[in-house]
Amino acid sequence: MENLKIGIFLSDCGKVLAETLDFDDLTSFLKEVPGVTFVEIGTEFWKGSGLQEIVKTIKEQKANRIIVAESLPKLSEIKIVEAAEAAGLNQNFVQVIDLKDYCVWPHRNVPFEATEKAKATLLAAIERAKILDPIHKLEFPAVKSVLVIGGGISGIQAAEDLADLGFEVHLVEKAPFLGGIAARAGRFFPTDDCAACIQSPASDVKTITHTSRKCIYRSGIAAIQGLKIYTNSQVVKVDGEPGNYRITLEKKPRYINEAKCISCNLCAEVCPVEVPDEYNVNLVVRKAIYTIIPNIHPPTYVIDEKACKFHECEKCVQVCPTKAIELDEKTETTTLNVGAIIVATGFKEYDPSVIKEYHYGEYPAVVTNLELARMLDAFGPTGGKIIRPSDRKPVRRIVFVQCVGSRDKRWNNYCSSICCMISLKHAIMIKTAFPEVDVSICYIDIRTTGREHEEYYEKARELGVKFVKGRPTEISHDPESDLLIVDVEDSLLRRFLELEADLVVLATAMVPSEDTENLAKILQIDIDEDGFFKEYNAKLRPTETKKRGIFLCGGSTFPKDAPSSSLQAHSAALKAFKFLNTGKIVKDQKTAVVNEEYCGDCEFCPVSCPYNAIELVKVDEKHVVAKVSDLLCEGCGICVGTCPLNAIDLRHFKQSELRAQTKAILSVNKQNKPLILAFCCSECGGASIDSAGMTMTNYPTNVRIIKVPCTGYLRIEHFLEAIKYGAQGVMVVGCMNNGCHHEEGIKKVEKRIEAAKNLLKEYGIEPERIELLNTIFIEGDKFAEVARVMTEKLEKLEPIQFSKES
Amino acid sequence: MMETKEASIPFSKEVASKYGGETITLCYQCGTCSSSCPVAKATEKFNPREVFRLVLLGKRQEVFHSNTIWLCSSCYNCQERCPQTVEVADVFFALRNIAAKEGLSPNIYSEFASALINEGRIVPVSKFLERKREQIGLPPLKTTGIDALKKILAATGFDKLQLKKEVES
Repeated sequence: MENLKIGIFLSDCGKVLAETLDFDDLTSFLKEVPGVTFVEIGTEFWKGSGLQEIVKTIKEQKANRIIVAESLPKLSEIKIVEAAEAAGLNQNFVQVIDLKDYCVWPHRNVPFEATEKAKATLLAAIERAKILDPIHKLEFPAVKSVLVIGGGISGIQAAEDLADLGFEVHLVEKAPFLGGIAARAGRFFPTDDCAACIQSPASDVKTITHTSRKCIYRSGIAAIQGLKIYTNSQVVKVDGEPGNYRITLEKKPRYINEAKCISCNLCAEVCPVEVPDEYNVNLVVRKAIYTIIPNIHPPTYVIDEKACKFHECEKCVQVCPTKAIELDEKTETTTLNVGAIIVATGFKEYDPSVIKEYHYGEYPAVVTNLELARMLDAFGPTGGKIIRPSDRKPVRRIVFVQCVGSRDKRWNNYCSSICCMISLKHAIMIKTAFPEVDVSICYIDIRTTGREHEEYYEKARELGVKFVKGRPTEISHDPESDLLIVDVEDSLLRRFLELEADLVVLATAMVPSEDTENLAKILQIDIDEDGFFKEYNAKLRPTETKKRGIFLCGGSTFPKDAPSSSLQAHSAALKAFKFLNTGKIVKDQKTAVVNEEYCGDCEFCPVSCPYNAIELVKVDEKHVVAKVSDLLCEGCGICVGTCPLNAIDLRHFKQSELRAQTKAILSVNKQNKPLILAFCCSECGGASIDSAGMTMTNYPTNVRIIKVPCTGYLRIEHFLEAIKYGAQGVMVVGCMNNGCHHEEGIKKVEKRIEAAKNLLKEYGIEPERIELLNTIFIEGDKFAEVARVMTEKLEKLEPIQFSKES
Repeated sequence: MMETKEASIPFSKEVASKYGGETITLCYQCGTCSSSCPVAKATEKFNPREVFRLVLLGKRQEVFHSNTIWLCSSCYNCQERCPQTVEVADVFFALRNIAAKEGLSPNIYSEFASALINEGRIVPVSKFLERKREQIGLPPLKTTGIDALKKILAATGFDKLQLKKEVES
């Protein structure tokens, strides 16, 4: 091994730090430490001449490890690591320590102790520097091709964006036609335009202007270069890694050759089979060979497998002028190679028949909003007229019931967020076209939270829509008058109403699309408790998942209106673009590594890894060992904390480094206060300690700080070692319980702390010597307070004594 | 002033801390309970949604100094249909328990209680009843295990309840 030459750069922030720290004392202390080659003091090391100074000194002194004490965590670290790399040093041989916020600002009233703490902190870094290993950059190839699952409004938008950006895009739709739930809705709020209207591809420069929007069939979607559309198709298998997924698609037979079909409708005319048309609320019948609405893509037909008599009949085959009908078509399997996946599977209406008191499915005049939308659509079964399903006479009285199956703990606890607007839109459409129809809306709360949404509420009132504040208890049917009776309390009047209706419209909850759970399993991504796909972070990464290269948009994460779905689609497309654009994924090998000699035959780490980065690999017939994917591993170290055999470690933060730091930071102690070792995570926990410093909040200097990647990294022996090396107390400072950046780390360490307390009790040591603090950046004062209280508590306890043998 | 002071008492929390009352704070006043309620439809004196509203607003006096909470017939229709899974009928039991402890139960309940403590039955066995049973061929009623019952009532604190003769309205 080469001789260690450790260089130390101390920034005094323009002499400000010198008012507290005794730099002469500090320098002479550091120079005495074996391995330290030089100590240099400067004003600013993270920019301009400071960075040049670092490069120059490293080269002159041939330093192979450096420690820089500089404030502005992260920003300074990035700049300094860059400079050190330029001077030929590996990134992991550079440590940047925030002396100002850790050792000066919070301790300005006690300069001697502050200097002692600075010595301890730097000594810990020196001892760690001695055993650091280099960390290399890794490159993984990324295929510049994207799979979009779901051909509704958001899937189409995302696919178009990426195709316009030059990517190869595969758009997969399970149904025989594009459009999703949106295409059935007829019209949209708040724009009042057709549901089938989509953005136009930017690639079509000949016919499209900047402001164009077009019906799906006129949009030229099928002609966009690089965009392949697969209808009637489903993703059945996904293998591979981010940047390089292998997709298996199953294409169900349509029995029509799309390329040959000219949509002449002769086939449907001769087809003898008639079945209820579920797309149109079963109000009409359709043939076994059919299409849905005229403006749809692909512009062709499909055969209903359950209804068609196939070779017994063959009437359509005989009449088709282009020989487009292929009755022997079989399910086809296709494989694709893509770099990223966008999930745009949307939502569906909840089936309200489970709510027995509303008798949906039993009384034909009880319909859902989507079914009403079909009636209101001029392409729909009634050509835009609202009829009573029983006798097809015009409707005179309509009652809407809001929150059917949503905001209801028995079915779906959440507010589906768009149903109020859908009912208002429908009520306005009905009142405008048929002013004589009496429309009432029974509601719990009317929620119109988007731009121009409140205007809908206002317009509905203006048009004479009646609003009844109350949730109906029951819908009953009066056989004599053939009317429905809606039993509701008008809670504002405190009066019971029995509203008569020809048609009752249920504003049903919106729930995840079918197969969401299955797709989540195939993609290995999470779903939330309501069954929707779970995003990585609702505030900052609303269209990303925990898994790199898989993105979400539209109603797949929660019911949403068309503008929000559209926005998310563009966001997901941009994220996929950013992910794949360079054709490679570059990342540091800051990952976990398995010691195969100790590892074997348990599955703690693959189960605890929040990133599914660990798999078990067979070594022989009976035994397995864990294997870490460098691509998927995020380096949190939760596996390290979990492994019962201590057979896994982090390349960038080895347990030996933690031990060396623990020993060193507790070895400098010229004060009478009991030492506390605070292990903080690199996220919120560490940030709260930073913020205590930044706001100059005082806390005792006996609190020494060691940063770990995530508190989930910590093992019970790390706490016990701290006590063995002289700590009288141990603090673990991590994120809030629901805010761990690695999901479960903080919860896992909480359990280990409980276990450690029990162990201490066994040893006859007070369990309150170990404490957990859940905190966030803005709670620096909370950290300081807990540190003060803990110090006072420890001062009252007898110091821990070890016998010589231990 | 009185209004504000009363409203500041966390009455809903008090109710929620009692057995059966735990779900009260889930109520969002949709009115499913009242439109499901056969009593509310028969008399204007009772409306479960309104009682819940008073509880949530902290109107303790108003809730206990009226007969309202004793009118629930415990048919559980409301409880079946409440979208927030509020245990409506059980909340009424919780309210009645608080009222009874404070001696605010209606006279008839005091009579029931005394009968239970003294005779082991809520409805005393009368000569008329015995004759009726004999006529239709039913065996005579067995004597109650009054000593054991008294132990139970003592253990639960039932016998210590200050049962008031009449409730002020």
